[in-house]
This record gives sequence, C-alpha cells and structure tokens, in this order.
Amino acid sequence: MTAARPKAGASGFDQLFSGKEGDGLRVKTGIIELDEMLRGGFMPGDAVMLAGSAGTGKTTLALQYLVNGVKQGEPGIYVTFEELPDQIYRDAKNFGWDLRKLEEEDKFRVVCTSPSLLLESGEDSLLDDVLRDIQPRRLVIDSLSHLEMFVKKDDMRMEAYRVVRYLKTRGVSSVLLWESPQISGGSFSVTDVGLSFLVDCIVALKPVEIESSLRKALVILKMRGSDHDKRFREFEITPTGIKIESAFSNYEGIISGSPRKVGSEKFMDLFRGASEKRK
Amino acid sequence: MSGSEILSTLLGSEVRGDLLVLFHRNPGLIDTVDGVARRIGRTTIAVISEVRELLMLGVLKQKRIGASEVVFLDRAKDRELLESVANHLKTVRIGGEK
Repeated sequence: MTAARPKAGASGFDQLFSGKEGDGLRVKTGIIELDEMLRGGFMPGDAVMLAGSAGTGKTTLALQYLVNGVKQGEPGIYVTFEELPDQIYRDAKNFGWDLRKLEEEDKFRVVCTSPSLLLESGEDSLLDDVLRDIQPRRLVIDSLSHLEMFVKKDDMRMEAYRVVRYLKTRGVSSVLLWESPQISGGSFSVTDVGLSFLVDCIVALKPVEIESSLRKALVILKMRGSDHDKRFREFEITPTGIKIESAFSNYEGIISGSPRKVGSEKFMDLFRGASEKRK
Repeated sequence: MSGSEILSTLLGSEVRGDLLVLFHRNPGLIDTVDGVARRIGRTTIAVISEVRELLMLGVLKQKRIGASEVVFLDRAKDRELLESVANHLKTVRIGGEK
C-alpha cells in the first residue's frame, strides 16, 4: 500500500477521513501468486481466517504476511497463545526473517499471552499498549482456536466477534489462525462454532494425498466484496517461505483429501498405457 | 542504584535468574504471576516474591487487565539496567587487570 492511509491503532474517526473505504487499495501478502488469487491482496481492515490442520503451514504463511508487511512499511504484531516467542524467532530465522531485529526497530512485536487475558474486559485491553507503541497495520492471532478452551461453545462466536471488532475499530487488518481438521467432505465446514460468518475472508490450507505422497493445497473459500481465484492451488514450504504453484487442474475431490484424476485424464492414462504396450 | 547493586539484585536467586532468562528470550510475554510461574516450571508461591523484586527494580511492569494483574518486561528500563551492569562489569575487569 503506497497511498496515504490511517495510522495504525487510529480511531474510527481518523479512518473516516482517511479515504480507506473503497479506495481500491489492497493489503498485499507479498506472496505474488497469493496476491493474484486475491485480485491484489486482502481488503484493508478485513478479518481473514487462515484455516488448516496442524502442519499445513499456517504459522509460516502468517509470519510471511507480517514480515512482507514490514517491508512495505506496515508494522505488524504476532499474538501467540501456543508457542513461546523464542521458538517463533528461531523458526522465522530459518526462513531468513530476523524478527528480533524488526522488534529492535519497533516495526514488529511478538506478544505471548494467555487467551483468557485477551478476553478480559475492562478499561484496558491487553493489546492497548503494544498497539500504541508500534502502530501496527497488520496483526496475526495464533490461534483463535485456543479461545475455545476458555469460553463456552455458545459464547465463542460472541467473544471472537469482540476480538474482530476491537481490531477493525482500530483499522488493523487481522489474520486469525484456526485449527481446522474438518475441512473435508462436501460441507466446507471450517469451524463448528459459526465463525465463518464473522470473518471477511477465509483461506484454507489442506494436506492432500496424491499418488502416495502428501502435498499441500490452498484455496480461498470466501472473500467479501471481491472476486477471487476459486481454484485449489498447490503450495510448498520452501527455505524462503510459502511458494504457491499451479492449480490441481487434472484432479477432482481435492477437498476430500483423497483426490482422483478427472475422467478425461484417466482415459489419457489408459491410452498412454495401451500405446506403450504396443511398442 | 549502582551497577553492582543492580547485578546482585538481578542474580539474587535462582528463580529470579529463571525469570530473567524467560523474559529476555520472550520479551513480548504478558502473563499473570501464576502463568509466568507455570512457564518456568515453578509454583506461584515460589515466584511471587521474586517477581516483586523485579518489579521494584523496574525490569518488570505490572498492569491490571480486567480482573487480572499481569506482568511484562519493560524493554526500555531493561536496556537501561543492562547498560549499567555492562559498564560496571567493564570497570571490574579494568580493576582486575590493574
């Protein structure tokens, strides 16, 4: 984003005069192929759910989004309930991202806390100080699933709504990680507590078994107010971060986790097999 | 407070040392005393007086969030104290060489 924009943590009043709404700007993830899928990037101020089962690359993608944000002059905050920051610093360094250095430059913060504290209501919110200190444009919560341990299932939607509204009011674009083992079958059920409706965009990461090897697929399930790529795209976690490849064009049933080749491709395989036998 | 006094306060006990390592490795940690104690594998009773010492020194800060009191590292104060300790250690070494 290059044009004038509201200061991070700024009030809704400031944003009202910032020209944010409908100015056509996007929050670029910095992953070129993903930005193309998103038709330029996420919508400013949107709450994005990044859903996937363990080991699919949610944390890597989220960190890459924040680090690329810093490169574009947008400070970021990573809120973790799970890993201690020292593990995050170490893992990020393996991708070439020096988070400690970014912290020293006041462009980045890793906040490690308990979900119950994030949910505490009072005059001060847990994030008030850090929002004021570094004026972030982007924030990641790793993960929203942890809130489930501290609130009743019926209250989960309301509490998540409160967190999303808190960030939106301050003009912060958020990525909320969600442990979602059940993105399968025909239901497209991302969460069983109705959170899909609260967020503006859902990006799902999914392991897929193809020819006895485990590959990874990324799909944008929802993006409010924007067109987006509807295809499943293969991605890899490389030494420099997430790299998105081509679409799984010759397979169907990717969402089930056990895709099969489409009919025409099966026919071609048979044809190829038969002609090889003749030789 | 002199560099040597700061140093002896910082390293006054094993638990205090554990707390300092935890907060230096994880400067973004914000938690209750109970939560902090769990993270270093100690009980709240063992940790509470040590946290109080670090609060008095200014390395840690305290804040009320709803019904909970949380503690966190004061990065600016921590840097300042570390500089004092580093300066003190330089003096000690020079003294030793003499």
